[in-house]
Amino acid sequence: MNSAWFVYMAFAAGLLFVGVYCLLTMKNVIKLFIGIEVISKGLSLGLLATGFVKKNTLLAQSLVITFIVVEVCLVATALALIINIYRHTKSLDVRKLTKLKG
Amino acid sequence: MIWHILLLSGLVIFSILAILSKDLIKSAISLAVASLLLGILFFQMQAPYAGVFEISVVAGLITVLFMLTIALTKTEGDVRESKPARIIFPLFFVAFILIDFFVMKGLLQKVPALPGAAELGTFGDVLWKQRTFDLVGQLAVILAGVFAVLALFRKRDKDE
Repeated sequence: MNSAWFVYMAFAAGLLFVGVYCLLTMKNVIKLFIGIEVISKGLSLGLLATGFVKKNTLLAQSLVITFIVVEVCLVATALALIINIYRHTKSLDVRKLTKLKG
Repeated sequence: MIWHILLLSGLVIFSILAILSKDLIKSAISLAVASLLLGILFFQMQAPYAGVFEISVVAGLITVLFMLTIALTKTEGDVRESKPARIIFPLFFVAFILIDFFVMKGLLQKVPALPGAAELGTFGDVLWKQRTFDLVGQLAVILAGVFAVLALFRKRDKDE
């Protein structure tokens, strides 16, 4: 069973790497947010895989559902923020957000 | 196990497509397909409730929200992503996977995880009785999200 856990966690770590790479290199705000979504997929996979391997699926499932609810609220708020950013700067470039205006 | 590895490989491939494709719509669709594969994997892991949530909420609702945002923020000249980042990605990814497969096994033996005891009762018992405080937290998070979206789309007063 330990080898199965190893495979799931290795793939979850791969997903985390893909998301972090996106956050470090991309400039489009929506793309950055897609990176955060990929990271959250890796996390929920890790949570449920650990529960599945340790025969604790019910608890892991309830944790994953809580995580999904939090994720949806995060997405709704962040996308509303992105639309507001677009209205102000007329662009989705994250570099244009570094200019501070009093 | 082979099915699981195929689903996991598909999940990683579609996630990579989601971050590397130039078109945002294609990125959002790739992300939805990745969520769908993750949902199927959850079903295979005997977690049907998590699978249903993953497919209906993450693959459905979040994709719709992404599409809506992409449609509302359409610009003539899209943001130019750096080309070297795209070209170097496979190199970094392969290096990370190699390190991952070497390090992860040793790491898993040291990290404490959920206890391996068999569970009694149903999913409803666990969610409503053991994790009651989580449900309160979920309600608070949903309310916070609703109020945040309302505050962000509030109309300006005439005085401002």
